[in-house]
Amino acid sequence: MMGWNRNIYRSLIIISFVGAIILILFGISQTLSYLTTGADRSSMLHLALHKEQVYLPKLKWKDTINPGRPIEKQTLQDIEQDYLNAWYIRNAAYQTNKQEGIEDYYTKSARKHIVTSLVSNKEKDIAIHSTTTTHNVALDFYSADGQLAVITDTGVKEYQRVYRDHELLLETELQSDYQVMLMLEDGFWRIRHMVKEKNYSSDPVMQTNNSIKVIGEKIFVEDKEYQIKGINYYPQKTPWDMFGDDYDINVIGADFDVIKNAGLNTIRIFIPYEVFGKAKVKTEKLEKLKEVLDKAEAKNLKVIVTLFDFYGDYSVLDWTLTHRHAEQIVSTFTHHKAILAWDIKNEPNLDFDSRGKENVLAWLKEMTRQIKQFDPNHLITIGWSDTASASLLQNEVDIISFHYYLDINTFPEAYTAMGAKIEKPMVLQEFGLSSSRGLWSPFGPSEKGQANYYKQFQEIIKQDNIHYLSWTLYDFDEVPSGVVGKLPWRKHKQKYFGFIDRDGNKKPAFEFISK
Amino acid sequence: MKLRKKYIILLLLGSLICTISIAFTTVLEKTDEVSAVLLTKERVFEAGNTIVLDFKLSIPVRTQLFIHSSFGSNVIDSDKQNTAHFVVPEFMAKKKGLVSYTLLGESGSLYEGEIRIISNTKTKVHLESYIGPPSIIAGGEDYTMQIIVPTDSYDNPLPDSTAVLIRHQFLDIEKESILQSKDMIGWVNIFSYDQSGRILLFSKVGGTVSKEFSVEVYPSLPENFEIRSNRKHAYADGNQITEFITSIIKDEYGNIVSDGSLVKFIIKDAKGLLLHTQGSTVNGQAVGKILHPDHKDTWQIKAYVPGMAESNTLTIAYTQVLDDFEVKFDNDNREITIGPLVSFMEQLTSDGTIVKIDVFKDNQKIETKIKTSSQGLVRFLLQDGFYASGNYDIQIKALGVQKEFKNIKLR
Repeated sequence: MMGWNRNIYRSLIIISFVGAIILILFGISQTLSYLTTGADRSSMLHLALHKEQVYLPKLKWKDTINPGRPIEKQTLQDIEQDYLNAWYIRNAAYQTNKQEGIEDYYTKSARKHIVTSLVSNKEKDIAIHSTTTTHNVALDFYSADGQLAVITDTGVKEYQRVYRDHELLLETELQSDYQVMLMLEDGFWRIRHMVKEKNYSSDPVMQTNNSIKVIGEKIFVEDKEYQIKGINYYPQKTPWDMFGDDYDINVIGADFDVIKNAGLNTIRIFIPYEVFGKAKVKTEKLEKLKEVLDKAEAKNLKVIVTLFDFYGDYSVLDWTLTHRHAEQIVSTFTHHKAILAWDIKNEPNLDFDSRGKENVLAWLKEMTRQIKQFDPNHLITIGWSDTASASLLQNEVDIISFHYYLDINTFPEAYTAMGAKIEKPMVLQEFGLSSSRGLWSPFGPSEKGQANYYKQFQEIIKQDNIHYLSWTLYDFDEVPSGVVGKLPWRKHKQKYFGFIDRDGNKKPAFEFISK
Repeated sequence: MKLRKKYIILLLLGSLICTISIAFTTVLEKTDEVSAVLLTKERVFEAGNTIVLDFKLSIPVRTQLFIHSSFGSNVIDSDKQNTAHFVVPEFMAKKKGLVSYTLLGESGSLYEGEIRIISNTKTKVHLESYIGPPSIIAGGEDYTMQIIVPTDSYDNPLPDSTAVLIRHQFLDIEKESILQSKDMIGWVNIFSYDQSGRILLFSKVGGTVSKEFSVEVYPSLPENFEIRSNRKHAYADGNQITEFITSIIKDEYGNIVSDGSLVKFIIKDAKGLLLHTQGSTVNGQAVGKILHPDHKDTWQIKAYVPGMAESNTLTIAYTQVLDDFEVKFDNDNREITIGPLVSFMEQLTSDGTIVKIDVFKDNQKIETKIKTSSQGLVRFLLQDGFYASGNYDIQIKALGVQKEFKNIKLR
């Protein structure tokens, strides 16, 4: 017995000794690595700053002709980058009332003004969330030694949301001109003087080709009234990952045939924000999207393209990045005949609680304006998840889209109630029933029940001439966790919304897919 | 029946009261709508002056004023409760630019407007001068730029067309001109003169004078020049030094080039090999030095300021210092003593004269040995281990003289 105890004590002592040594070594190494941080001398010159672009408002150089000296392309880019950074840093500072980064982009005499202003705002607990979306810059002067530049920035669109004691006080949009003097110091173009010159508001009017338009509560395509009979589409093998590695245009083309032959004329597809490359949209993704749209055009299907899938930031400082994302996608397809509408975001009202209603609405509102600028030819809509939200921003969009998964019997009532508030075409953009009877939902609807549901819905649709897109063509094998969460019964339900089962057999509901 | 009538009357009465009260409240609500009128007459203020925005409210309510100016936005409160009398804080009132404001009541905006703050010309002017590049080249083509940023004492750029006096001095020239500022700055290009030297610059706005700035004017590109040589004697002794000296190198305006301008001397010998030496100028003259050759030779020398100017070609010849020397074979011919090597006056050559021997066996070169002289003598050993017994040919070269010994028998 004694021997056992002794051994236990021995091993305890040895283990604690080893543990202490490990801790000491870890501590020393941490101290050393802390002491060596920031020792890189090249960092003093700011030559190789790792700059991730976080602020990308639309900036156009109007002209660079100036009496001082011709400017080099590289310097022009440096000035542009640092000038925008100065705006970003200032916006961020006014949001948090902290001075981080101000000294990098404003000279000593200029930053004083910002700092006093920040202090005053902090005392009163004022936070200003702001961003700029447009800059039109002209170079007024560039000095012979390349150290000083004066620029005029016209039509700077500033969006600001003012909070006091965490309560929204004011939402404002201003458009102003600024004259700015910048100086090259320590490798940064820093703002020395900044003078706001003028206020005005004028939005460029974009010329539309009028091929798709809305008159009253009707949609017209090429001057013919267009009734949307559609379906939300993902390929069977790659739900929520349509443009990924397993993308196959032949599969998609075959599906389009199925859809067209079923008597439908419209599909709705989804563009995931991050997968498409966020602010720098990947060309290979755009090419895939173009292939899909070309295919749809060939099969005579119209497409509602839903942007910003799985996006969820909405913060004012993130605006410009999403604007560039939209610009690159939307402007590529300005003249594409297959597109019916841009759906800005799928079910954004579900983000009201987590992200703040005013954040989400302001983002959507600005985005409608941005997209109209990039593409005046196609319609704009927002895919609200319920009828109650559908009247939000109705002046900003061309058609009103809503989703309906509640009891079918209350639908006519909800539809009429919604219609009373809206004078634009209304599109039932998602509806459907999962034939999910099985282990996870023993009392769920059967395939017959699903068929009945669609039969009934088609009658309502016929009665009121409702634009519709059902959810969805296929039953899926896998549903990513990002869609409905990780809970298996939720995933299970989401797998059985299709008109065609996993083995490619048409379910009974298929009969009522379009009539 | 009566009971019912009573009820109906009661009901009617009740509904009447209801409608009246609703009507009343709506009327009240209407008058409840607050409106505001701006009392302040001025729209333009000078920076630094107190700016008061006074509004007349139809109903006293709590108000706030949102202000957006050049360096950002703020919200300020009214002086007194339930009025709309705002004093724009000093830090905003002293910055030039357009100021937009929105008067906020309890439920949104009541009044929007803007005022303009202009720079205060009554305050003392501050000057910032930027001059660059700090050095230029003489001749009137190169220039430096003088930029003056005049501000008021609140650091606001003065308006366009502010008069800026500038002056500069160079040698006995003093010039003065008046600029009109534009885009926040007044600027001028100052071109160099034909002479090199230093330009002093100065500027003045209102009563404020700048400090003195200077710009260095360096001589322009050098013109072609001459070289000459200087040596102690013409013998190819491999010991003395020959100097090459340039004339005073000047630019086209007669300015002596800057000290330290590099001059390269390229020497081509009789065989066409190139030698190279260099020197940098002091007071326009550069000196290049090189050791005499150790054999008879003729050199052609040309000097360059690379990429800019070149000299004439100079030819100099070196004569041989000796015609012959003695060679002694000892120790079964394994020890070869060369010398004494005597120079032009029969003096011993200086230590370090190079002597080279080539050893051949069956017309194949086996080895080249190089040694330097000491007290006029050089000794080579062909050692046992390296050189087996047999017949060898030996060539000896020193100071441009070559001697050959055939069939030397080593044992």
